[in-house]
Amino acid sequence: MSGRLLLALSVAGAAITGTAAALVLFAHGFQPYPPAASLAQVATDGIWITAGLIAWRCRPGNRVGPLMTALGVVDLARQLYWDSGLAFAVAQIVTSFSIPIAVHLFLAFPSGRLATRFDRAYVASVYTAALLLAPVGQLVDDPRGPVCPRCPDNPLLVEGLRAAAAPLQTAVAAVLATVLLVTTGLLVRRVRRASGPARRTLAPVLISSAVAVGLLLAVGVMSATGRRVEESPVLLIADAAFAAIPVAFLLGLLSTRLHRSAVADLVVELGTMPGPAVLRDAVARTLRDPSLRLAFWLPEGERYVDADGYPVEVRAGTGRAVTVLDHDDERLAALIHDASLLQEPGLVRAVGAAASLALENARLQAELRAQLDEVRASRTRIIEAGYAERRRLERDLHDGAQQRLLGVRLALRLARSRLGGATEVDELLAEADAEVVDALDELRALARGIHPAILAEGLQAALAAIARRSPVPVQLNVCGDRLSGPVEATVYFVAAEALANIAKHAHATYARIDITRADGWLRVAVSDDGVGGADPDGAGLRGLRDRVEALDGRLRVETPPPGGTRITAAIPCA
Amino acid sequence: MPPTVLIVDDHAGFRGFTRRLLEADGYTVVGEADDARSALAAAEALLPELVLVDVMLPDADGFAVAERLATIADGPVVVLTSSREAADFGARLAVSPARGFIHKDQLSGAALSEVTRDQP
Repeated sequence: MSGRLLLALSVAGAAITGTAAALVLFAHGFQPYPPAASLAQVATDGIWITAGLIAWRCRPGNRVGPLMTALGVVDLARQLYWDSGLAFAVAQIVTSFSIPIAVHLFLAFPSGRLATRFDRAYVASVYTAALLLAPVGQLVDDPRGPVCPRCPDNPLLVEGLRAAAAPLQTAVAAVLATVLLVTTGLLVRRVRRASGPARRTLAPVLISSAVAVGLLLAVGVMSATGRRVEESPVLLIADAAFAAIPVAFLLGLLSTRLHRSAVADLVVELGTMPGPAVLRDAVARTLRDPSLRLAFWLPEGERYVDADGYPVEVRAGTGRAVTVLDHDDERLAALIHDASLLQEPGLVRAVGAAASLALENARLQAELRAQLDEVRASRTRIIEAGYAERRRLERDLHDGAQQRLLGVRLALRLARSRLGGATEVDELLAEADAEVVDALDELRALARGIHPAILAEGLQAALAAIARRSPVPVQLNVCGDRLSGPVEATVYFVAAEALANIAKHAHATYARIDITRADGWLRVAVSDDGVGGADPDGAGLRGLRDRVEALDGRLRVETPPPGGTRITAAIPCA
Repeated sequence: MPPTVLIVDDHAGFRGFTRRLLEADGYTVVGEADDARSALAAAEALLPELVLVDVMLPDADGFAVAERLATIADGPVVVLTSSREAADFGARLAVSPARGFIHKDQLSGAALSEVTRDQP
């Protein structure tokens, strides 16, 4: 940051403070505290505002700066004992927001973000409490009392509600005590969990705050025991401690420029060569950007993919920036991160360098996943194409060879009827016809093996047809959903092969086919009450297993306790 | 007296054999068609009493032809034929307005009169 800008911001802070100081002096006639005490507080607020503006300028994407500035401005409103009753009441309401802003600031320091969901909910509830309690307080609060005899009338005061003032004050005190305790608790927990350098960042802020709050509590106790505190040096020391807090915030914020030790932690963590997802989390933690996304570069496809191998669009957007990470002049990955991190390019580069080996490893994993997806997709295409080809072959056999052979049979029949039973030629023709019949039978079996035409009528109809042909009675239990062609064909062949085995080897009296569909899986089970002992490595069952596994499915052959054989195929179906 | 017949099949050779076979069995074949469109045109022009339709036609299937013919008042009796087996068509045969089905392997004048015998 240039010296000139620093000067400009300091002047801005001083101008605001000076104006406020002038107003305090002007209002001296009716404000309760001596001007020295008020001016000390105005000066404190001025330090908050100036430090806040500098922090804001140095870390534009970080909320710590704006929050510090807001805290100074809001607290300044308290010092101005306005002549106008309405302005006075509004200033009182505005001042109440110093509590939630302070809580927000402490919990968001130094990243500017509230880290946990609980923190976010808690800060939101403190803001809400201020929003509700502050205006309500003004309805019952009469500022003109022994403390401030010259305060203006409160125009918002509702006379009928005066009785509620005491209980409301008790409630507000309880809320304040709770907020103080919870916030302290959260900060203590953070310090206990923080690593060494994070603790060093937090320490000046927390120590100066603890001193300030402690002194303020002491002042409260003194005041409660009836001693005059307005001129007490304790109050001035408390002010000094309060003035030290924004300086501590600013120094802490600027010292986070490079989290060297966080990068060192990352190096240690990445020694285990984590997968892409864990790597992203580790980098996000080190850069303190939970929304960070990691995109791996695939040189072959010239595109980015995420940890699961899915394509990712890499471009900067609102509040988002992209940093490309290279290693040995080869593009490795891209970080899509909070734009505020651009303020710390050194940190991002250091993280990239520390993670390069793990990134290369993770990039290869992501690349492998992407390739696996491509292989799966191409296998699906091959299966679909094979299925279509089988259907075409079956149709061609029917329309071509079979049709012609059927024509030949008709011709033979015509010839025999024309011959009128002449013995020798008729015998020859009868033999020729028998040959044609055999050829037709073989052709039909071949065609059915290539593709069962009945599948055009649905799986249920197709299975009913093979059940009818089975010599062993078959009970069918089939869900009526239509599935993809390859899945239906595979289920058909599993059932057909299993029923053929049952007819040939099982000596069964009964078989059943159950087809169920659940959780994206289609399960077909063919069971019988026969002698069991099917050989899973036989040619027929191995062929089935190949068909099922080509669809990413699993085939199991087992002999359940009551005996018989059960063949189960599970095939994924979306 | 056997009825007049229109033969619908896209295989010219098979049509020829069928015509001669049916004529040998005493049927009068009034026409032939090689697809669904010309079959419907021929049915309206020639007014056959019986139409023998191959299930697999290049432009539509025989079931569709049977349904169109069934909408003609006092239209012809339709018999479907195919090189496939009846079981391959599942329930479609049962719901079709066609009078019956004859596998091409079983095709003859006798089979045709058997299927159409109970006609009102």
